[in-house]
Amino acid sequence: MRVYVAKRLAIAVVTLLGMSMLIFVLMRLAPGNITDIIFESAGYVDEADRRRLAAELGIDRPIPVQYGRWLAEFLSGDLGKSYRYDLPAWEVIKPRLPVTVELAVLALGFSILFGVPTGVISAIRRGRPVDYALRVVSLAGLSMPSFWLAMVVILLLVRSLGLIPSMTYVSPFENLGANLFQFMLPALAVGYRSSALIMRITRSAMLEVLREDYIRTAWAKGQRETLVVWRHALKNASLPVITLIGIEFAFLIGGLIVTETVFNLPGVARYLVDAIQVRDYPIVQNLAMLIAVVTVLANLTVDLLYTWLDPRIKYGKA
Amino acid sequence: MATRALDLAASGTLAGPAPRRSTLALFLRKNPLGAVGGLLMGLLIVTAVLAEVLATHNPIRTSTQVLAAPGADHWLGTDNLGRDLYSRVVHGSRISIVVGLAATLLGAGLGGLIGLLSGYAGGKTDLVAQRLMDIMQALPILVLALVMAAALGPSLTNTIVAISVVIVPRAARVVRSSVLAIREFVYVEAARALGVRHARVALRHILPNTFGPFIVLVTAQLGGAILTEATLSFLGLGIPEPYPSWGRMLSIAAAEYAEKAPWLVIYPGLAISLAVFGTNLLGDALRDTLDPRLRGS
Amino acid sequence: MMRPRSLRPLPLLLAACVVLLLLVVARTSAQQPKYGGVLVNSPLSATPSLSPHEESTIATVQQASPCLNNLVYFDPAKKQESVDTLIPELAEKWAWQDSHRTLVLDLRRDVRWHDGKPFTAQDVKYTFDAVRGAPDAKAKLRVNPRKLWYANVEAIEVPDPHTVVFRLNRPQPSLLLMLAAGYSPVMPAHVPWADFRNKCIGTGPYKLKENKPGELVEYVKNPDYFVKGRPYLDGLKFVVIRDRSTQIAALQSGQLDVAGSGWNRTNAENAKSGKPQLVVVEADSNVNDNVLVNFKKAPFTDKRVRQAINLALDRKAYLVGPRQGAATFGGALLPRPAGVWGLPAAEVATLAGMGDPVKQKAEAKKLLADAGFGPGNPLKVVVSTRALAIYVDTASWMVDQLQQVGVEATLEQIETGVWHPKMTRLEYQIALNLTGVGIDDPDAQLYENYRCGSQRNFSGYCSEEIDRLMVEQSQVLDPKKRLALVNEIDRKLQADGARPILGWGKQYAVHWPHVKGWAVHENSIYNVSRRQDVWLDR
Repeated sequence: MRVYVAKRLAIAVVTLLGMSMLIFVLMRLAPGNITDIIFESAGYVDEADRRRLAAELGIDRPIPVQYGRWLAEFLSGDLGKSYRYDLPAWEVIKPRLPVTVELAVLALGFSILFGVPTGVISAIRRGRPVDYALRVVSLAGLSMPSFWLAMVVILLLVRSLGLIPSMTYVSPFENLGANLFQFMLPALAVGYRSSALIMRITRSAMLEVLREDYIRTAWAKGQRETLVVWRHALKNASLPVITLIGIEFAFLIGGLIVTETVFNLPGVARYLVDAIQVRDYPIVQNLAMLIAVVTVLANLTVDLLYTWLDPRIKYGKA
Repeated sequence: MATRALDLAASGTLAGPAPRRSTLALFLRKNPLGAVGGLLMGLLIVTAVLAEVLATHNPIRTSTQVLAAPGADHWLGTDNLGRDLYSRVVHGSRISIVVGLAATLLGAGLGGLIGLLSGYAGGKTDLVAQRLMDIMQALPILVLALVMAAALGPSLTNTIVAISVVIVPRAARVVRSSVLAIREFVYVEAARALGVRHARVALRHILPNTFGPFIVLVTAQLGGAILTEATLSFLGLGIPEPYPSWGRMLSIAAAEYAEKAPWLVIYPGLAISLAVFGTNLLGDALRDTLDPRLRGS
Repeated sequence: MMRPRSLRPLPLLLAACVVLLLLVVARTSAQQPKYGGVLVNSPLSATPSLSPHEESTIATVQQASPCLNNLVYFDPAKKQESVDTLIPELAEKWAWQDSHRTLVLDLRRDVRWHDGKPFTAQDVKYTFDAVRGAPDAKAKLRVNPRKLWYANVEAIEVPDPHTVVFRLNRPQPSLLLMLAAGYSPVMPAHVPWADFRNKCIGTGPYKLKENKPGELVEYVKNPDYFVKGRPYLDGLKFVVIRDRSTQIAALQSGQLDVAGSGWNRTNAENAKSGKPQLVVVEADSNVNDNVLVNFKKAPFTDKRVRQAINLALDRKAYLVGPRQGAATFGGALLPRPAGVWGLPAAEVATLAGMGDPVKQKAEAKKLLADAGFGPGNPLKVVVSTRALAIYVDTASWMVDQLQQVGVEATLEQIETGVWHPKMTRLEYQIALNLTGVGIDDPDAQLYENYRCGSQRNFSGYCSEEIDRLMVEQSQVLDPKKRLALVNEIDRKLQADGARPILGWGKQYAVHWPHVKGWAVHENSIYNVSRRQDVWLDR
């Protein structure tokens, strides 16, 4: 077991290293750099000034040197400075993190709350109208662009109900009610899509598990169906769901980006888009790495959790 | 091991291709939803191919009839530059299907190749390839696509490339697990024992048996590709003007006019949803049919 | 007892007096500004910094002006800015000497910076020496977009702590207007210039309370402001909302008091249709859509090709489509009556693109044929523009117009960060551009955009004659003579197709009726953001 953990950790580290290089190179490939941005807002370029600024920001060095510097700084906890705002990158990212985290957690929560039970019901009632109906509903969730859903929701709200949650961020410590009200819709918009995937995975995992021998044995032993389902089947079907959450995490970020834009939430995801567009290298690199770290950690945790929980390993049936 | 259930759910087939004649009939009967999906996909393809015939106006022609409501002249109304929405939606199907298919085939093709080689070769090659795929997959789809699109600039080819990059690791994984399973079969061992070269074994014996999961993968990813294109265009990074892209029609500009002209928001979004819905239904049905474990009962 | 005859009308008179008194009291109390409240506003966008001298966007001016002061300013209450509407701010009096070659300003003595230090003439010298790039300047700007404005300043002298003297190389009456621009506030000499990016130490009516870059800028009332009784508000808050429809929703739901920065007519109409009580103010602005044609790249070196492109763009269609009916036509300077220096309307109607679209498009086709382009050899053109919705829409329209005269046009979206450098380096064929100049003044407009070698002269246009005329008009003191000369320059620029103007846009301010004193100027959007006269009636 310990060997396995060590191996997975090593893989995670290698993955992160590779990703850091990928991100770094991709950003540098883009035409235009930060000196152009700074000058852009003023509308003209003075070559001497630009060279001075480039030297000041250290972007006139060869790329491997820049990469090495960045990596060293990142590992030591120094997230660098936002070129655009002239502030430490951490100071710009810090206030935005809680927003994104809250949205992600709420969205994930919704997707599990909605996805798992519907997946179970769909599996148990396979082939019946309920199954079809649920599959269609969940498939619609996978098919609709989340930003479209968000726009339609806002349109309906504003037009028919006149109900508008705060358009400017309200912290949960300031006013929990207003905050939840504000996050409810975005979480729904993001979570609907994830719930569809969770539902599908739950359904197929359940279907597979329901055929397993030990389930048949339990039934044969006369245990009530619901008990069998919820105790044995669900516990084991939850494994792929947990795995999916790990993978979905990465996917969730994409939904967060558009939703934060449409609902005007000052989160990290939306800021990433802004930073990419203005080539604020430190922000993009560090944010992307942060997201990568979180994603890899999530996957790692999930992997380890899975190995620990897998009854086949537990019961010795590998 | 940890991803086994996932693989099964997402692809999984070990059987060879079923006899052709009864497949279609069986398919349609057992999968009404799949039939619907097939119909939607067919509609999408027909619209894309016959766009010039089906459209009533030039999709980029501006006019002074700005934000007109749906009527006899403009079936779905006009946008803020006086362009006919119906024609733009019709031409948009071409973009969606072209970008979606191209990106999916490119990504799945490349990924499939990597998966085949990696699965068959095993050992160090496999390990390295797997790590590479992990790296590509660890970054969230949209972030990777965003950075690529920003790096390469908004254009048709760049969008296709950016989206395909995301599909490569998924295809690699699916094909690889198929290959791993098939590789153990006796007839492969027999072929090797008889001295058949690696390449021949790979191409003639293993590859054909990965077609099933491959097809399923392609249809599964196609919907995602169409959605990613829509999202990129929505964020202004995908297909540039003057190509009409459904995603870009929904971008902020359309939201601004939504109150006055809700049709601008409804129809392109509906088009995207229906297209992706169709591919997903079809993909689901195909997977249900081709995976023996989920068949029956 | 009978009242004496002379006293009989008395009760009536008394009653009349009482009624009159009540009316007067009622009227004045209705107009009496109330103190208190925090006004929430949505700016055009997030500001890259709080240093107006180093930025070129209205977003910075909006969010930094409440904290600062100029030497002189434009009276918020007067809609059309001109030399006649200048009011004192940090300078109490000013006088031109030596036939407009020397400007002497007497400064106020009772002004303190927000950190308590006294304001003196040294602050003025510090600011403008830095901005004009004087060799002995005590500070250096990171970027200096309006250095050109002060190119004529030879020296800035401080004979005593409350007098500052600008010595010019040649007469330039427009200098005073440049000092009144929202882009030209006075900065404190005792603060390092780099601090101005994220902090604001000013003399203005509001003190900076909080700055969350990209999100929020909040001000609180300055109790020691040198204008007694101002400001009325307790605070001023700028909340960045990126998406216009979200801005509209926030305004309608009361979360914003004012919005409208960067809006178009449809946005304003949407806002009002949802909440009819909202007040919509529409005015001209000194921001225009223009076409950059690369003078240095073939085939645009051919005058016929340039003219054809200009003719193909039907201005009336531009008005209806991309502008939704809200724009005015004109030449290089803001058209009258909103602007001071524009060409007369009759002349504007004869400019290229203004006439019958069918005829003009036919003429364009003919010109292209003369230049060697036609169905067998179509002109292939890439139209570049910034990757922002407002630009892209108009550029898409342009692509269609060009295609209608047989030009194979496609669109290229250039990202924000790369736009200006690409334009400066002339790496484009034709481009759709948006230009806003700080003040409605020929010195600013012409020098920045049309002078040979000017950094913002993106089309590479260069005419010695125009340059000479520019310098000539800058020195003319008689306004009528100057107007005639400026119009002559404008005429020549239009004939040369130096930078075809599609139209001058409109600006919008949409606010709740309880917002009073929200000033809007007709010929500039940049010089009215002090907001010290705004109050809330609730």
